[in-house]
Amino acid sequence: MMTLSLAVRNLLRNRRRSLATLLAMAIGATSILLFGGYSANINYTMHTAYVQKGGHMQIQHRDFYLYGSGNPTAYGIADYPKILAAIQNDEVLRNMVLVATPTLQFGGIAGNYAANVSRTIIGNGFVAEDINHMRRWNDFGLRDVTPMFALEGAPADAAIVGTGVARVLQLCDALKIDRCPKPEKEQKSDGKAMPDDIAQLSLQETPAASGASGISPRRIEVLAGNSRGTPNVTSLEVIRAEDQGFKELDELYVMMHLAQAQQLIYGKSPPKVTSIILQLRHSDQIPAALARMAPILATFSASQPLAVLDFRTLNPFYVQTIQLFDTIFGFIFALIGAIVLFTVSNTMNTAVVERTVEIGTLRAIGLRRAGIRRLFVTEGALLGLCGAVLGVVLALLFSAIVNQLGLTWSAPGTVDALPLMLRVWGETGMIFGTTFGLICIAVLSAWWPAYRAAQLDVVDALRHV
Amino acid sequence: MAVLTQVEKTYHLDSVSVPVIKGVDILVRRACFTVLMGPSGSGKTTLLNMIGCIDKPDKGEVIVAGCKVGDLTDDALSDFRAQNIGFIFQNFNLLPVLSAYENIEYPLLLAGSSSKKRGERVPKLLDAVGLGDKAKYFPGQLSGGQRQRVAIARALARKPKLVIADEPTANLDSETGAAILALMRQMVERYAVSFIFSSHDPDVIKAADDTIFLKDGTIHGIRRQGEEDAP
Repeated sequence: MMTLSLAVRNLLRNRRRSLATLLAMAIGATSILLFGGYSANINYTMHTAYVQKGGHMQIQHRDFYLYGSGNPTAYGIADYPKILAAIQNDEVLRNMVLVATPTLQFGGIAGNYAANVSRTIIGNGFVAEDINHMRRWNDFGLRDVTPMFALEGAPADAAIVGTGVARVLQLCDALKIDRCPKPEKEQKSDGKAMPDDIAQLSLQETPAASGASGISPRRIEVLAGNSRGTPNVTSLEVIRAEDQGFKELDELYVMMHLAQAQQLIYGKSPPKVTSIILQLRHSDQIPAALARMAPILATFSASQPLAVLDFRTLNPFYVQTIQLFDTIFGFIFALIGAIVLFTVSNTMNTAVVERTVEIGTLRAIGLRRAGIRRLFVTEGALLGLCGAVLGVVLALLFSAIVNQLGLTWSAPGTVDALPLMLRVWGETGMIFGTTFGLICIAVLSAWWPAYRAAQLDVVDALRHV
Repeated sequence: MAVLTQVEKTYHLDSVSVPVIKGVDILVRRACFTVLMGPSGSGKTTLLNMIGCIDKPDKGEVIVAGCKVGDLTDDALSDFRAQNIGFIFQNFNLLPVLSAYENIEYPLLLAGSSSKKRGERVPKLLDAVGLGDKAKYFPGQLSGGQRQRVAIARALARKPKLVIADEPTANLDSETGAAILALMRQMVERYAVSFIFSSHDPDVIKAADDTIFLKDGTIHGIRRQGEEDAP
């Protein structure tokens, strides 16, 4: 108590220097926390997006994840309704699982024959109601910006395509897609220009021609190899185009009702799916759910090897992004920690020089070397504590202001404008970790000056001018 | 109270060695007011530092309060000083962040005295040095004489056997210096503590029981009160 009281008064003795040191630490702590808050928001945004889209885990054929992209239908799960029923009837999983929904992925070719264009696609069959249910998952309390899945309530032959697919298949006008470039048709320059009246007639004729055929301008044909290897075709009415975030995916992605996809791939054969998506109430239930799933899957694995993959395994981009931000956070912390180290060290060294006679006096009247060390280390720790606490307060204030401004940004792999949030409030681990880390650095930087002060010869210290 | 036997001390400044104490024998008597007299550089402060256990001789033996202090570790020496020796400095050396009361209380806190004991002891000492009404004043708010009074009270806080004072009146005007001298003399009688201090002031000799005359690191003469063997 005596040491603490003396340390506080010594810090207050040179208010300007102590304040400058405190401000340096506080600005450092604020910077760390604001970046941490930004990083946390990215984590939660991406986490939520992936869980809303693909659930927390997926049951797949053991080899689907590695080899399925080549021939998805070769890794179908038979008897999937029984697996779904087993999950829904399990007394533990029932309370954890919010949505359990089957999906079917396949490769094929989509064509808009009216425009004479086609391209390879990845087709996906979903249960639309389940997908919409999944899109409501918001465990981190983010501002809800995810649009509802348009397939719910749509006709059986309805489809949603990536904007890239729509662009390539020249569906932009029909789907009223903004900012959708069209290919420039080559104009033949040989010969005379077409008379104006004929050109006008031609322009009027083109839409009439397609309309006259009775085919909807949104209609596409999808060709895929069925489970027996023979080609099958289905006709789909594209009701919407959605940007998929990545150009590569955007130019491949076609979504339809699961029944439609199964009809295309399996015809009258017993239908299969390539994945069963499981979305849990909370992400921290993943280990428990995985453990609980193992014996259930074992009963279905006799004829088909099954595996459960969590969303981190399924989405390595998410893991890599979080690792990148963690690395940057660590780098910033180290950088600011070094600044704090030198700032506090400089302050304490100056204090030792200024108070040399005082150190000699304290030693003369009976304070041990350890007492001197304790005094200066306590002063360093107090500087660290006050600087970190001030930094936390500033970070909370600043983040609250930024969060109220309504700024938006687009996360990697997403399309929708997301609210720019700095999540400092509620990040208890980060706040306490930063505070503790800065106190440790402050104590460390005070230790050497404290040691030097304690080692001073009493007589030399008393003689110091 | 303190016995120095054949004590020698040499300071080494770069490549030059300066012997400051050359085989000195001193006896500081119990409950006596002892003055070390001599010109600058005669070794007064060095001797006081050795008697005060903040410096060690190169040769010879120092016994304070019956303890051979040369054998003690640094921590043991610190504890020994806290228990047995009080210090009064020329520049007062009070802790500027502590009030008069707290400065006097500090050695008691170091000793782990209870709050009750401290509450009894500190006001008594403040009254004894005539600063009962200045308890809450900080050193910066006190005059030089008042600061030295606080320093005297601090030196006496733990009832030491010996008080070391290095030119305690040097930074005071003659009137205040005389008052401080009288106060120290009074403390010797009141608390039966040995005071040893250094001075160049010939007037101080009048107040001393014993006066030790130093010159060039050797004893030039010792005068006990009533004797006339001074140089």
